[in-house]
Amino acid sequence: MHNKGKRVMELEEIRDIRQRKRVQTILITLLVVGLTIWSALGTDFSVYEVFSGLGLISNFVFIDLLPPDVSTSGSLLGAILETLYMGFVGMVVGAMIALVLSFLAAGTTTPHPIIQVVVRAFTSIIRNIPGLIWALILVASYGIGVTVGTLSLILGSVGFLTRVFADTLEEIDTGKIEALNATGSSYLQVLAQGVFPQFIPGFVAWSLYNLELNIRASTIIGMVGGGGIGFAIQKGIKLFQYKEVSMAIILVLVLILSTEFLTSKIRERII
Amino acid sequence: MSELEKSSDNIYSLNRNEDNNEMIVKPKKDFFIKGVLIFGCLFFLFSLYELNIDYSNLLEGTVAFFIMLGDMFPPNISEWAYVLPAAIESLQVAILGTVIAVVISLVLAFLAAENLAPNKWVARIVKSFATLMRVIPTIIWALIFIVAVGLGPLPGVLAIAVHSLGMLIKVFAQSVEEMDGGKIEALKASGAGSVQIIAQGVIPTVLTALMAWTILRLEIDIGESTILGLVGAGGIGWELMRAMRSYDFNTALFITMVIFVMIFSVEMLSNRLKLKV
Repeated sequence: MHNKGKRVMELEEIRDIRQRKRVQTILITLLVVGLTIWSALGTDFSVYEVFSGLGLISNFVFIDLLPPDVSTSGSLLGAILETLYMGFVGMVVGAMIALVLSFLAAGTTTPHPIIQVVVRAFTSIIRNIPGLIWALILVASYGIGVTVGTLSLILGSVGFLTRVFADTLEEIDTGKIEALNATGSSYLQVLAQGVFPQFIPGFVAWSLYNLELNIRASTIIGMVGGGGIGFAIQKGIKLFQYKEVSMAIILVLVLILSTEFLTSKIRERII
Repeated sequence: MSELEKSSDNIYSLNRNEDNNEMIVKPKKDFFIKGVLIFGCLFFLFSLYELNIDYSNLLEGTVAFFIMLGDMFPPNISEWAYVLPAAIESLQVAILGTVIAVVISLVLAFLAAENLAPNKWVARIVKSFATLMRVIPTIIWALIFIVAVGLGPLPGVLAIAVHSLGMLIKVFAQSVEEMDGGKIEALKASGAGSVQIIAQGVIPTVLTALMAWTILRLEIDIGESTILGLVGAGGIGWELMRAMRSYDFNTALFITMVIFVMIFSVEMLSNRLKLKV
């Protein structure tokens, strides 16, 4: 008798949970649909316009953009290499700066909690302002050229890498650090013997991922005056040289895919 | 006795083997890391040399940069009546673009997943299309769509939709491919059609992963929609470009702060959602 009552209660509970879940699902669906409609109204989106634009888009792609002008690949090669160099220098310098900052920003290694908060806030500001906007601000003071591109990539790398490095540092095994502290090691000794060996694989893997991000970013930073292939694309569009633009886009594709391939191979070997 | 000896012998040799393995593997790994680091250093120096950065300009520019930062304060909020609607427009562009991408990718991902696709070639073709869409940056898509359909938020929506579609097809197809094949087989054996297999077997299994990817993508798209305006695709980026062009640095700072708040609050929100999921 008692058991039966319990079972009924359980069944009712399950039904309750199910009902609550169903209500939740309906609410979330309504919210998403509502947001979508609100967005469509706000941006004057009309399916008709998209479909009537399809003809224009395919005209543009197949007549203006294609086939790519292979003869320009010589001059574009310089630009794409510049993009690669900017991305790489941005990654290396950014990783060096982030290495120092992340030791200050991670709870396990920070010398003082106030320093941790300050560094975290600083890098959060850097990270949450898009690279293109940094480039736009930097162009105003450094003038057009690769300096701006490299600097804004360094900023972006510092913002991203400090966060992930600090997270990696916080995840490491603290037993070793305690043991080293107990044997009277100094702060630097603890870092070198206890923290660093565990940190290296994450350091390399995240830096490689950052290289991928940088190369993507450096293709677009050129558009506001940061040099590299982005600048060539922007110039080509302004001068209606679309066949040159499509050649540049193909080079971007090759560069991004080959970096992705290389970094994934290196990552596989290391981890 | 002899058995015990044997087993202890075994353990011993096993340990030795492991030791040997470690001794063989570890130096190799270290060697590889060292090789990568040395190559990285050399390539870094080479890149610096090739970039040919003008270091005297670096110093001057840094001084100019800090003077400009000083000029930027205090932020000029008098133009909020233009800036805030533009910020909302960016948000709407991001939401609409992401929703379109999610809806289309839900169909295409099943064609791209090798365990569900009608045949291998369909999967490969869809996947290479996805790669093409994913690898070309959003802002270049925006430039292409601006030429085709004109200025305004529409090319922004399309650019975000296309670029996100490329990534979502890839990751959705991956989550579908990772799922346990037994479920699909069981449904197939009981005579379910492909639509039934997807609705009953696949979607319930991968739903959480799809939601997580969608939220991540929305987060990225909101960041990207703020900069699309720089090339004329509507939203707050356009306001920033205008302020910078007319050297109105105080308004530019205000706009940058609005962008920061937008992206920062989305990051916070998605962190909380991730904790809940």
